[in-house]
Amino acid sequence: MSKTRTQQYKQDVNEALNTSRLNDALHRFGDAYLEARQRAFAELDFEQLRTDIAEMKDRVLTSRASLREQFIREARAAGATVFLAADAEEANRYITDLAKANCVRKVVKSKSMVSEEIHLNKALENAGVQAVETDLGEWIIQLANQRPSHMVMPAIHMFRDQVAELFSAETGKTESDDIKHLVDVARRQLRREYLDADMGISGANFAIADSGTFGLVTNEGNARLVTTLPKIHVALIGMEKLVPTMDDALKIIQVLPRNATGQAITSYVTWIRGAVPCGDVNKELHIVLLDNGREKLAESKTCKDALRCVRCGACANVCPVYQSVGGHVFGHTYIGAIGIILTAFYDGLDKAAELVKACIGCRACVSVCPSKIDLEEIILQLRQQVQEEEGMGLGKSLLFRKVMRNRRLFHALLRSGAKLQKPVTGGSRTIRHLPLFFSSLTEWRSLPALAPEPLRDLMPKQQQKIGRQRYRVALFGGCSSDFIYPELGLDLLKVLNHFGVEVYFPEKQNCCGIPALYSGDRETAQEMARQNVAALLEDQPDYVLTTCPTCTMSLQRDSVELLAGEPQFHAQAQQLASITYDVSRFLHDVLQVDISQLKTLPGDDGDPLKVTYHDSCHLKRGAGVWQQPRQLLQNSGHEVVEMSHADRCCGFGGSYSFTGHPDIANAILADKLNDIKHSGVQCVAMDCPGCMMQIGGGLDHAGSPVRTAHTITLLAETLE
Amino acid sequence: MKSRNRINLFQQAAESAGAVVYHCQDVNDAAAYIAEHAGGALLYAPNDSLEQLGFSPALSRSEVSLLEMTSRLDAADAVAGLTGSNYGLAETGTVVIDSTAELVRLASTLPERHFVVLDPQAILLGQQEAGQALRDLQHQQPADYLSYITGPSRTADIERVLTIGVHGPCELYILLLSAVAQPEKGVSS
Repeated sequence: MSKTRTQQYKQDVNEALNTSRLNDALHRFGDAYLEARQRAFAELDFEQLRTDIAEMKDRVLTSRASLREQFIREARAAGATVFLAADAEEANRYITDLAKANCVRKVVKSKSMVSEEIHLNKALENAGVQAVETDLGEWIIQLANQRPSHMVMPAIHMFRDQVAELFSAETGKTESDDIKHLVDVARRQLRREYLDADMGISGANFAIADSGTFGLVTNEGNARLVTTLPKIHVALIGMEKLVPTMDDALKIIQVLPRNATGQAITSYVTWIRGAVPCGDVNKELHIVLLDNGREKLAESKTCKDALRCVRCGACANVCPVYQSVGGHVFGHTYIGAIGIILTAFYDGLDKAAELVKACIGCRACVSVCPSKIDLEEIILQLRQQVQEEEGMGLGKSLLFRKVMRNRRLFHALLRSGAKLQKPVTGGSRTIRHLPLFFSSLTEWRSLPALAPEPLRDLMPKQQQKIGRQRYRVALFGGCSSDFIYPELGLDLLKVLNHFGVEVYFPEKQNCCGIPALYSGDRETAQEMARQNVAALLEDQPDYVLTTCPTCTMSLQRDSVELLAGEPQFHAQAQQLASITYDVSRFLHDVLQVDISQLKTLPGDDGDPLKVTYHDSCHLKRGAGVWQQPRQLLQNSGHEVVEMSHADRCCGFGGSYSFTGHPDIANAILADKLNDIKHSGVQCVAMDCPGCMMQIGGGLDHAGSPVRTAHTITLLAETLE
Repeated sequence: MKSRNRINLFQQAAESAGAVVYHCQDVNDAAAYIAEHAGGALLYAPNDSLEQLGFSPALSRSEVSLLEMTSRLDAADAVAGLTGSNYGLAETGTVVIDSTAELVRLASTLPERHFVVLDPQAILLGQQEAGQALRDLQHQQPADYLSYITGPSRTADIERVLTIGVHGPCELYILLLSAVAQPEKGVSS
């Protein structure tokens, strides 16, 4: 069952990846969005605003029952009828019954994602009521018989010629594909519908508890017509839209349009409280408050933050996976990162299962979320639930449970792997072709070979020459540094020794646990965390350093969370978290080294080496480190050139690029290689062995002369 | 912030949102401006404050043709609409209009052009001051429909190309004219 589903999903992914017009459009959109957003927030403190919104939304969550009661009381006092719908079926039945009782033949709708969620149009159609979407994008989608591919711009996947075709069919004339003309056609065609309709249906962006008001944030003006002309107005509102006061809603207004479209404010914000005049009588106002999985979400300890969402759609706008495959593939009713989570609760985990695996975990969404939702963390939790229900496949399961938990066995296997790979590598450090059914893995990038001797064997042989000793630090290698790029550890040793730091390698350290955790095997990750906490603290180092930001994040964040229920380990995990640093941040922030005393190595032309810096997802958005490595490179005499999208994911994502979604990983890598090429540098620097594998492999495969290097290696080279 | 700065800020923001801001000398100047730009039948949504300013006689003295309505749906024939407003928000160039009276809604949603009269003394700074203003408006009536309007109707739903004037007014004219009434009484209530 799940196998067929996975195959079908991979097929959808491939089709989408091959639709270059869509990919181009979404990439251009992503670029324009970032610029517009930056301008819109220029004079505001985004961090403060989103912290305030998150806190307010958390208060709402705690007191949701009393706020709901208050809203209902106030709205009723102002003349509205309020109905609480437990699920889609109840909401649809209420609205269709209302339509039938009032002999409604036609309904005009303004944009409502909730109505998409409950498939209201279908229900109305079955009841013999015609529903006309009036938001331009929604109308296009309705005519095309599709579903939205973006929460704010539902028809972003369609092009003017396709729209012209749809409109021509509607008007019976040949309509040109001039966009202004097409907009005029929509204005003309829909104008009649507002005047003919017997009922208007809108959504809402806020439901304000202390006055019974709801608010609509719109640009086109259709919602104002929908809520004015027909005699009956139904407002369909998800429970999560509750806010305590008008001031809380205004706070969201400061952020929502800016984060959605880069506008300081939309053309219209409409505040409706109660039954207002309509001709000679008062309008009949019905408010349908919908649960449909929201209460279950509120009760979920690990996922409840998703209810903070204000539906700006930003998580999709910045998502490299969304930009590669679009919202029909990377979403269900709701799309992007938040869409994955809502799908799990509103439509069922089965509908979300492929989506949770399609997230590459780059945290771009987390950095722009206006409600400070840790979307990646929640998606991770859901992935775990999927694995628990469906299993992760025998191979992976064996690897994690039987091999990786047993460090000696795991490392013994890696050592024999280093010997057995000779026929493939020919003794070189790069694998360019793999035989037979593995060949697809090297179709688009070379892979690094396992090093002949791992770091754990090399370290004890090093002579440490330290002048005045400042610190003694433990090095956490991480699998890729230990077994693939041991030179990173040696470079670290060389640089730190130079600055008076002794480095040792705790032998009992194991894999950081992220591969298991990201594949949904929490138990193995917990066991790794226990082993590492004990191994790293055993000899009481001043600090623990890494050359891999994913390992850093694992030691700093995940270990603490994973061991929260184990008193004997939790305090140690917290201690470990507090002394763990990636090497760039340690050099810059802790040692505050004067790097200019290092000798500068010029490039081939005698000028300083031109370097561009690639921000690794987990370093910039996990640890908040991005200025430090640039500063170190610059101060050590390199010319740092910024490439476009420096902090966009490279598409590695660990097993994502091997077994998960190598095709998407390849598409994302292609974007990165393109940006590197256009920066015109000789070297691309980074602080992550995973990124080195992906970018280095991609550059090698493309025959590019650009070198891939870890920041610590470039620093080590400047030492005599 | 000084009142003059606030008005400048408002004008800048409103214009960058695509509105036209016109400083009226008096009500006759306003009526003449409307007559010049209306382009067809005008739906006038009167209120106490606009009437005190003398809009009815000024409009009939001007060249503008006023829409005759026998039913509410005749509003669809209006080419232009004229309403008052209660507040301006300087930071975004927004006009805040109590649109509870249906005629105000019809005049500001259906026509291609919307003329809105704003008292420059009623311009607030931004969202932080707006909360109290909105609450004040809500306390005056049992049910209400309050509108923020910032520039003309717009869409970017086809290939993200910004296009002005989809369902609401294609042109928004903000006429700055000092009112005789206090803002909380409502230029439009």
